Amino acid sequence: MNIFKKIYNYRELLKTNVKKEIRGRYKNSILGIMWSFLNPLLQLLVYSVIFGALLAGGDETYPIYICIALIPWTYFTTAITQAAFTVIGNADIIKKVYFPREILPISVVTSGAVNFVISTIIILAFVIFSGVGLSWYILLYPFILLIQYVLLLGIGFIVSSVTVYFRDLEHIIGVILMAAFYGTPIVYKLEQLPHTLQIIVQLNPMTHLINAYRDIFYYHQMPNMKILLILLGASIVLTVIGYFIFKKLQKGFAEEL
Amino acid sequence: MNENNDIAIKVDHVYKSFNIYYDRANTLKERMLFFARNKRREKREVLKDINLDIKKGETVALIGVNGSGKSTLLKLMTQIIFPNKGTIETKGKLTSLLELGAGFHPDFSGRENIYFNSSIFGLTRKEIDERLDKIIEFSELQDFIDNPVRTYSSGMYMRLAFSVAINVDADILLIDEILSVGDQHFQEKCFNKMRELKKEGKTMVFVTHSMDSVKNLCDRAVWLYDGQVRMDGNTDEVVDEYLKVTM
Repeated sequence: MNIFKKIYNYRELLKTNVKKEIRGRYKNSILGIMWSFLNPLLQLLVYSVIFGALLAGGDETYPIYICIALIPWTYFTTAITQAAFTVIGNADIIKKVYFPREILPISVVTSGAVNFVISTIIILAFVIFSGVGLSWYILLYPFILLIQYVLLLGIGFIVSSVTVYFRDLEHIIGVILMAAFYGTPIVYKLEQLPHTLQIIVQLNPMTHLINAYRDIFYYHQMPNMKILLILLGASIVLTVIGYFIFKKLQKGFAEEL
Repeated sequence: MNENNDIAIKVDHVYKSFNIYYDRANTLKERMLFFARNKRREKREVLKDINLDIKKGETVALIGVNGSGKSTLLKLMTQIIFPNKGTIETKGKLTSLLELGAGFHPDFSGRENIYFNSSIFGLTRKEIDERLDKIIEFSELQDFIDNPVRTYSSGMYMRLAFSVAINVDADILLIDEILSVGDQHFQEKCFNKMRELKKEGKTMVFVTHSMDSVKNLCDRAVWLYDGQVRMDGNTDEVVDEYLKVTM
């Protein structure tokens, strides 16, 4: 597999890129890395107040219920939005230097994963201090993260390369992600939906990932491994397809940008 | 001599054309509304049937008037753009200097940019650590190396960029018309370094308008005219003929 060797050879570039993205995100802001925590916390506060009043029905652990979904969801949306912009944003180097272009979406998805792992501290703090507690199922966290990573890699390859040719995609993605927020059981429970809507929401891969995160952090039960394995398989297929699309489209990057 | 093993760059029947759009529909909306718009375009053939074998250890100059396709050919060799027809094969690690400080981050210090730039060329952390002192020494920027690059003059910029590229230890070095920046002293130093690399058996391709440096450094010159190879051979002969025609 040529691609793995190429990326291995350019691992330093990948590392520098990931570091640059993590460090650069909050550069020149007074609170710096604190925003990694403040951002989701403030968002969480808003959602808990609004949806808590609407949907929770007096459940005191509702903020934790949202929190466990909101943080992986934030990883999902930021990775896709940034991936859509990464090739265009790096137009300068792409036009002047050769390097494996795949590095760009890969580093977006990877830096997002690093951020996500850091933000998971919030989830841990919440479940420990609220009395929900921890369970051994938490050991499955890396596995669920891996599935999300591969899924995002596939989407990342596609959106980063297609946006170069259709700039609208950047905006279309924003709308789709906004709709998908409500198409994923983040603020509500799947069972609260009418049957037909449940079926649609279950077609969304993020539904199952968020269910799995909730199983290990909130319900302390074994996630549905059959669904997770199917999801992993599908994500790998998507990544392979995405990679071929990317490979084909990247030949025109320097001319299109 | 075994010919096939000694080829560093093989350019085989390469065609390259660019689409020149008068009014480009960039977004989906425009594409749907004004679908006729993209038809108003012109195809400009920049390279027509280029064949070139560059042997390992050769130092080749690409010469020709503006718009003859020299830089396009160099970009094709770098794999930044790809030919419409034909193939280009390169053997060994390749470094290119197409533009001053491509991939420099203005807010990073010179030192950080050495790391960043070298990593774009595919070096690992360890390899960069080993070269760091050599690069800084060659650039003569010891006093400024921890300042942000945006504070550099264009000469300093170029010195840093050149020092990185030349210390990557690539087998093939592609350089596009950049040696004109920098003072006499640094230019001399660069020429010496390139002569050294030549002795080490590196392959180099230059695009330049400075006939002195061509004669000074290259064993072979390729004259491109209107996207085709007009003359290819011994430097002195090609340069003399080129000067006779264009003067």
